[in-house]
Amino acid sequence: MQVYILTYEQAQSLIGIQFMPDNYFNPIMDAEGNHIISIEEVEQCSIDWVKALPLITYKPIISKPWQE
Amino acid sequence: MSFLVNPYLYAPTCADADGAAFLSAAGITDPTITSAICTLVTSMKANGTWAKCSAIYPMVGGTAATHKFNLKNPLDTNAAFRLNFVGGWTHSANGALPNGTNAYADSFLNASTLLTKTNTHLSVYLRTDLNIGLFPVDIGSSTDVNLGTNNTILITRYTNKSFNAIAQNGSFQPASLDSRGLWNITTNSSTTGVYYRNGTQYGTSITAQNNFANVSLYIGAVNNNGTPTFYSNKQNAFASIGSGFSSTEAAALYTAVQAMQTTLGRQV
Repeated sequence: MQVYILTYEQAQSLIGIQFMPDNYFNPIMDAEGNHIISIEEVEQCSIDWVKALPLITYKPIISKPWQE
Repeated sequence: MSFLVNPYLYAPTCADADGAAFLSAAGITDPTITSAICTLVTSMKANGTWAKCSAIYPMVGGTAATHKFNLKNPLDTNAAFRLNFVGGWTHSANGALPNGTNAYADSFLNASTLLTKTNTHLSVYLRTDLNIGLFPVDIGSSTDVNLGTNNTILITRYTNKSFNAIAQNGSFQPASLDSRGLWNITTNSSTTGVYYRNGTQYGTSITAQNNFANVSLYIGAVNNNGTPTFYSNKQNAFASIGSGFSSTEAAALYTAVQAMQTTLGRQV
């Protein structure tokens, strides 16, 4: 699975910004400390610099859930 | 001689004021959706489930701008529990599909200030069957990054189990071999949690022994003291939050919701 990588400043600039009406960007960090947004956000937005962001392979932070 | 008919002059209306208010707020004039919503509202009022819901999200209209509205109070405000979609959602006529990576919706409904833990329900209608190993939370809140404490959570399927809790440390994890359909976890004036899929009970457990997290409930992830984690990627076509249901009410809710989904051609 792939995601788009951002700089810290780019990620901060997207917080609170809609990528389509009533749906907001959510930059998060991956397991290697990269700021990333999803393919869904980029494909549905109309911001030129966002659409030009590079793709990387997604490495999620694995949370360990409670077990019975 | 021919006549030009303006279809908007003959657009179907909903006789129920609550249904009409929702459709107006969402800007929906489609006759099929109008019929589905009107029937849902009148059915839920007749079977007693309407009064027990604080929030009802029918997820109709195909966009975030229509999916966001709470049928019980269709104002575009946080106080009305209007959903705030964040991250990679895909909206369509079939509902709202989170990507399982960074998508969630904030209901702004804080169970700790609105509900009583021994009298609470959460429900979701999901169109996706997934059995992944991680914890894909379909709706929930918690105070622990590992989901150990104060969970109010519904996970419909992971590793062939579900994960259900209302104000409980840990959870009850009955078997689950299909995540599709209407799922409902409810407490009804007791600490016994009852779990339903498509209106049929599939388990009970002791729950409501701890506390609600003092944060709003998220759909598509868990709100972990303000941080979304454990993202889900199941398509959501209905959700509700409110007081607890009896077994009769749980069955009646399924009948009403499934009728709406069938009218919309998206039933599972």
